[in-house]
Amino acid sequence: MISIVLALLVGMLFATGTYLLLRRDPIKLVLGFTLLSYGINFVLFSASRMTRGIPPVVADKETFAGDISTFVDPLPQALILTAIVISFGVTAFLVVLINRRNALVEQQTAKAEETSVIPINDPFADAGYYGPDFDKDPDDYEWLEYSLSDERRRDVAARKNKGAKS
Amino acid sequence: MTIGPNWLAAPIVIPLLAAALGLPFVRWGRRGAAAWQRRLTLLGALANLVVALMLLRATLGGSRLVLQMGNWPAPFGITVVADGLTAIMLSFAGLLTLATVFYAMGTLDQRARMNYFPLVMFLLMGVNGAFLAGDLFNLYVFFEVLLMASFALLTLGGQISQINGGIRYVILNLVASSMFLAAAGATYGTLGTLNMAHVAERMPYAPISVQTLIAGLLLVAFGSKSGLFPLFFWLPSSYHTPHPSVTALFAGLLTKVGIYTLFRIYPLIFPGYLTEWQPFIFIIAGLTMLIGVFGSMAVYTLRRVLSFHIISQVGYMLMGLGLAGSLNPTLAVFGLAAGMTMMAHNIIVKSALLMASGAAELEVGSGSLLRSQLGGLSRRRPALTILFFIAAMSLAGLPPSSGFVGKLALLQSAAQGQYWTIAAVSLIVSFMTLMSMVRLWQKAFWGQPTEPIYPTTPLSRPRSKLLTLAPITALVVLSLGIGIFAAPVFRGFTVAAQQVMDREGYIQAVAPTDEITFAGANHGE
Repeated sequence: MISIVLALLVGMLFATGTYLLLRRDPIKLVLGFTLLSYGINFVLFSASRMTRGIPPVVADKETFAGDISTFVDPLPQALILTAIVISFGVTAFLVVLINRRNALVEQQTAKAEETSVIPINDPFADAGYYGPDFDKDPDDYEWLEYSLSDERRRDVAARKNKGAKS
Repeated sequence: MTIGPNWLAAPIVIPLLAAALGLPFVRWGRRGAAAWQRRLTLLGALANLVVALMLLRATLGGSRLVLQMGNWPAPFGITVVADGLTAIMLSFAGLLTLATVFYAMGTLDQRARMNYFPLVMFLLMGVNGAFLAGDLFNLYVFFEVLLMASFALLTLGGQISQINGGIRYVILNLVASSMFLAAAGATYGTLGTLNMAHVAERMPYAPISVQTLIAGLLLVAFGSKSGLFPLFFWLPSSYHTPHPSVTALFAGLLTKVGIYTLFRIYPLIFPGYLTEWQPFIFIIAGLTMLIGVFGSMAVYTLRRVLSFHIISQVGYMLMGLGLAGSLNPTLAVFGLAAGMTMMAHNIIVKSALLMASGAAELEVGSGSLLRSQLGGLSRRRPALTILFFIAAMSLAGLPPSSGFVGKLALLQSAAQGQYWTIAAVSLIVSFMTLMSMVRLWQKAFWGQPTEPIYPTTPLSRPRSKLLTLAPITALVVLSLGIGIFAAPVFRGFTVAAQQVMDREGYIQAVAPTDEITFAGANHGE
């Protein structure tokens, strides 16, 4: 019974995750990937046995009389833990990528696509956007930070002013 | 000098140390950090190559090295295995990494200060770990290590085209990793083990449906990582975006890890499916070759063209795996050895080509074949042009080069097994590769020289010129060397292929047990 419920759950997670992965919206992409990795974790979980009330813990192996083969296998849970950590890290990276892309697209839509991939003299093609001249100040990492668009910067400034007044 | 199994940990530990020790230097300013990281990375890459060559010498006699971590018997601990194929791949990967580090020292821009060198070492650690892993879950973990490093390298610099390519690359690899993990889960749930030797031992007792499921999932997962036919689209959309040194490294290492895993898992765990699915594998291989070479005709940037050629070359390697499924054991070994030769050939030649074309792109500031800037490089940079020409002819498979050896061996074994269709396809694709190389030659190197538009280029300063051209020369010379000394080299590959096909030998070497028994277990009683 439990295994049927688990199978349905995994199927639902996979279906939803795949559907979301195929959407255009980047947030849905992240959500879809998260659901997919949950589904995988449940698949791994189902590799241990689906029994209730028999933890794989033996207080004293000399006096233990039960049947070891009915235990839940603890190893898949260790595997799941590793898989969770990895998928968490990758999801974080994906979120950063999408965030960075949004910031860039907001800044310069058409031009960025056309600029040469290979740096010409300036390594990152458009010195105007990327801030100070890199060669003059090599340790300046300003240009790596996501800069907000002018509109949003204005919004933030307006909000600050409002807060200061009230 | 003999080498014990404990040395098997070195190809994982050395890059890890080189990367991790380099990171704290960021504290003392990024310019100084880059210098220290570079030194450490050079040292690490050299040490790694030396260990890999020692392992190669130890295993090519026909022996296997097995390290059971912490002396736990096989299915319970972490097993690290090296045989001929592993050692060959470790050596070529180590060599390529060393060449790329030199190339990066010559060409790299400000990205050198963004921890480029530690990332390369992390990538090498993941690649080496995937070559050495003796169980499915560690294979997954090392794949993730190399993928994380490759994600960061691919998007290093943060241009929008890089990020667009990077997102596709990340998503496709995540889905493929998920499938691999699902296969690992199904394997553990059915067989109760993840150790490859143990899985190979127990797989025949699993229900047929489960066997098919696992074999199919693994084929899809590693097929998409290595850019096989329906799942290749991420490769040409991302490989041309990063710095040329990154592209060269990826072209040499990443797709080959996927193919290596197929070479390792299928003969070991699913020998039956290798035979049963042989027509299917041949169809995928043929379509991969064709689509790669057709794609390369349709794009107009130097590195995009070469990215499509990576795909068509992966098709040749898969053809070797398909030949390994034939029932005649001699033919199977010969075909597998041919596929492995193609793999080694590709690691060096494809990277040499991408390094040369990357240098050309840096030289003129554009890789577009449509604009007239690229033309006439043959007069301005004759050394680079000669290197590109030799590498291109090696890729097309002209003698005397490593490409000729690999393709000849593949064709011979295909003809011997009377697989005429795939033989014909591979010949046609070979011819079209030559055509595509000639097209690159005409558009990029031949013609009237144009005035250099950009004052400082990597090839105009003597030091960076040496650092850029020397690694390409080394790789090209190695390719020619494999072509000239084809007989002893191919004999080595055949020994390795015999080891890969020898399932019982692998299982005996790892010796998985069903229960833990080790000396000193009753110590306290």
